[in-house]
Amino acid sequence: MSTKKKLEFLAYAIFIVITFMMPLFLDIFWLNRIAKYLVFGMLGVAISLSWGYAGILNLGQGLFFGAGAYMLAASLKLASPTSLQQGSDTPVPDFMLWNAEPGSLTDLCCITKVSFLWIPFQAQWFGIFMGLVLPVVLAFILGNIIFRQRISGVFVAIITLATVLLFRLLMIDFQPLTNGFNGLTDLGWFTLAGFEFDPYTVQTYYLVAASLAVVLVATRWLVSTRAGLVLQSIRDDANRTRYLGFDVSSYQIFFFCVSALIAGFAGMLYVIAAEFASPTFMDLTFSITMVVWAAVGGRSSLLGACIGAILINVIEATVSETELFVEAWQAIIGLLFVLVVLFLPRGLAGLANDITDRLLGGAKKSQQDAPSGE
Amino acid sequence: MFETIFIGLSVGSILLLVALGLTITYGTMGVINMAHGELVMVGAYTAVMVRIHFDLNIFYAIPAAFLMAALIGLIIERLVVRNLYGRLLDTLLATWGVGILVQQAVRLEFGLTFFDVHIEGLGVGLQRVDVPDILRETIQVGDIVIQPYRTFIIFLTVALVVLTWVLLYRTPFGTQVRAIMRNPDIAAACGIDVKRVNALTFAYGSGLAGVAGVMISGFKTVSPSMGTPMVVDGFMVVVVGGVGSLLGSVVSAGFLGQLNGIFATLSNDILARAIVFGAVILIIAWRPSGLFNFRGR
Repeated sequence: MSTKKKLEFLAYAIFIVITFMMPLFLDIFWLNRIAKYLVFGMLGVAISLSWGYAGILNLGQGLFFGAGAYMLAASLKLASPTSLQQGSDTPVPDFMLWNAEPGSLTDLCCITKVSFLWIPFQAQWFGIFMGLVLPVVLAFILGNIIFRQRISGVFVAIITLATVLLFRLLMIDFQPLTNGFNGLTDLGWFTLAGFEFDPYTVQTYYLVAASLAVVLVATRWLVSTRAGLVLQSIRDDANRTRYLGFDVSSYQIFFFCVSALIAGFAGMLYVIAAEFASPTFMDLTFSITMVVWAAVGGRSSLLGACIGAILINVIEATVSETELFVEAWQAIIGLLFVLVVLFLPRGLAGLANDITDRLLGGAKKSQQDAPSGE
Repeated sequence: MFETIFIGLSVGSILLLVALGLTITYGTMGVINMAHGELVMVGAYTAVMVRIHFDLNIFYAIPAAFLMAALIGLIIERLVVRNLYGRLLDTLLATWGVGILVQQAVRLEFGLTFFDVHIEGLGVGLQRVDVPDILRETIQVGDIVIQPYRTFIIFLTVALVVLTWVLLYRTPFGTQVRAIMRNPDIAAACGIDVKRVNALTFAYGSGLAGVAGVMISGFKTVSPSMGTPMVVDGFMVVVVGGVGSLLGSVVSAGFLGQLNGIFATLSNDILARAIVFGAVILIIAWRPSGLFNFRGR
């Protein structure tokens, strides 16, 4: 194992240990916040996988995040002790009462025309299952459209962007099913094997931190497999890889789906920690913001993108005490983004890479050149 | 029926007005300018400022907004876009950052908010622009009610399309632009100052965004974040129409506008927009290079 590889493993190990040691230093309020940022870090991993490793700039990652979030949120909504109609044998979510068909029975089967779709979500495992499956299915369909047609570059960005906005509008419009603009709030606690995950406990934090560690390590392993190497060669030159006999679009679709799975998983964790799901998850701004995090951290490094996401959010949380600073912070983010793209295209991870290269005996030229955005 | 088509036409002309600038910058330079929506916003704010501080109506705001947006476009080109040629997706991200900066500059009144200095017409609040009386009173012709403001928008759009066409196809400058569109390296070898032409093209496209902003300010409230959805709409039009094709943009703006208009009357605005997005996805999937495209890829 080369020294550099050792250093990389060390970096992963240190990062994971630090996330697990957080409960020693922080109170429960901050732990909950950090848990959310770790979820965003997971989104950074998803972006880095699709953008840095596959060269697919997906401006619709929020679709998968939102899909995962809404699926679990539906189950948790039905598990909520406070948001269901009080004193009834047949509980229905509160918003369905407001949208009820006149004269209908107050029951999930028929209170609104589409409310029967909620019935399976009474079982929490179904919510978890759908939270993982739906993003993958969506990504599979979308990926088939995009990659079989050999759509590339900026057209991928536009088509994914149009898709996420399309779904956002549908979520808002189908009020009786999704509670529209308001999203799903007042959720119950996530329960696993009889244990309730109160978002403001150390256990929930550990759940998120452990999930992130698993995702990070698994994704890092995945990109070092043969398939991962083929993927990187597709990023560098799709045509040449095609001539070598690889089925380019299958690889792209597979990793697109993996990236969606990670994002969907992140969405579910976010719902557990933040106790709501809303159409803002599918805003254009949110999807592009994720890309910003990954770009600042370093798109071609999974860990870098993850740290970038966490870092930006932690800084944002500390400076956003007053409203004026929130706005100023937005401006700083904008400026930071321009500067990173202009002067530091490989992000913080690229910078760290260069520094270690220099320390390890400078003469060797950096092996990993920045993948061009094409 | 007539009214539906008319609404579709006016929606389409707004789309085209926003997209026209993008068609030019994207077509010639391959630059995805995500700050385009913010340039539209700058145009709208120019209309607000011109009314508040000089008491002039939107007819005067049009040239003012063109110059203002073109100037900002020129600055963006110099500082950011020029350094990113050949890195298409990176320009997309960098200009997104520029867009945020412009937005916050308006919202924070160029930072003066921190010193408790306020410029009337800027800041976080909503602004509105009054339409002059000439354009406000509806005209009745037989059974048909004509809304002069929307008619004015349609005519202005047509005029700008014609102007752009003449500029691109009937002037030496346009010949240079089209040469760069086909192949920038060969164009440079033929003695065209690619950098200068690109800068001017970018400024012109930005200026058109400013004009679009003035027109939009007549019927929508003006706010710092108004531009973001516009850049999305603009890109849909450009991508559906085909990169760098003026005709393509006209057709696709007309088509998407009618689609929006028809479904907005049949159901609601949200669903109409969703259908437009759906149509865009299908069209890109069906013809990835757009409806009209001279470049065989």
